[in-house]
Amino acid sequence: MKVVVKHWHAVAQWRWDTGNAEPADDDGEDVCGICRVPYEGCCPSCKMPGDDCPLIWGECTHVFHMHCLLKWIGTAASKQQCPMDRRTWVTAERKIGATTST
Amino acid sequence: MASISARRLAKELREIEGEGCPVGINLIKADDFATWWFTIEVMGDSLYQGEVHTLQFRFDPQYPISSPAVQFLVTDGRTAPVHPHVYSNGHICASILGNEWSPVLSVVAVCVTLQSMLASCKKKERPVDNDRYVRNAPDNPKKVCRFSDY
Repeated sequence: MKVVVKHWHAVAQWRWDTGNAEPADDDGEDVCGICRVPYEGCCPSCKMPGDDCPLIWGECTHVFHMHCLLKWIGTAASKQQCPMDRRTWVTAERKIGATTST
Repeated sequence: MASISARRLAKELREIEGEGCPVGINLIKADDFATWWFTIEVMGDSLYQGEVHTLQFRFDPQYPISSPAVQFLVTDGRTAPVHPHVYSNGHICASILGNEWSPVLSVVAVCVTLQSMLASCKKKERPVDNDRYVRNAPDNPKKVCRFSDY
């Protein structure tokens, strides 16, 4: 039997490399603790997910949409603390995994 | 575009409607994303057995970056629980409603915290400065009530 490919559809999926091998959430998606939108979605101020609405990593290992975290850190009430553990927020260098290409 | 608070509150509402509230807490009004009402009672052994109180949440468009204004309702026969951190006008001094607020907290999380604040109460009494506070208290409990250490 000879198979001839007449046409094909490419399907791609992307996910932020948060350092977690698998999403922890039951729905299969991790969410930003501030806006509760999946990391792969975008913060409430943005329309398009992706590089324009990136994630931000803290040295405390907590991850948020960058825009959400910056809104919080920009308030006096935040005292510049991580919303999760109230440690002083220090942005971590983003670790690029070995398998991640840019 | 919907405000930050509307999107986040719509999610919280869906969760409440899907999974229900924790025992002793019931949503009684959420007609919009500005004001929600809950009834709250303490389950099991406590000084507040048989009491049902009404909690009001008021949200501004920046919620959850800004904290909700939370108080007990004291209108139409409703009363504020007698508690060292609850003023007779319904205003509550709880750290998470003031300078310990975090945007990862939620409406239900606040309800549960206040429920356990009541549950752990050893003596039913008003705050020592109740009368002075209530005389001068602003409409918005967020404006004045700022305790830091409990």
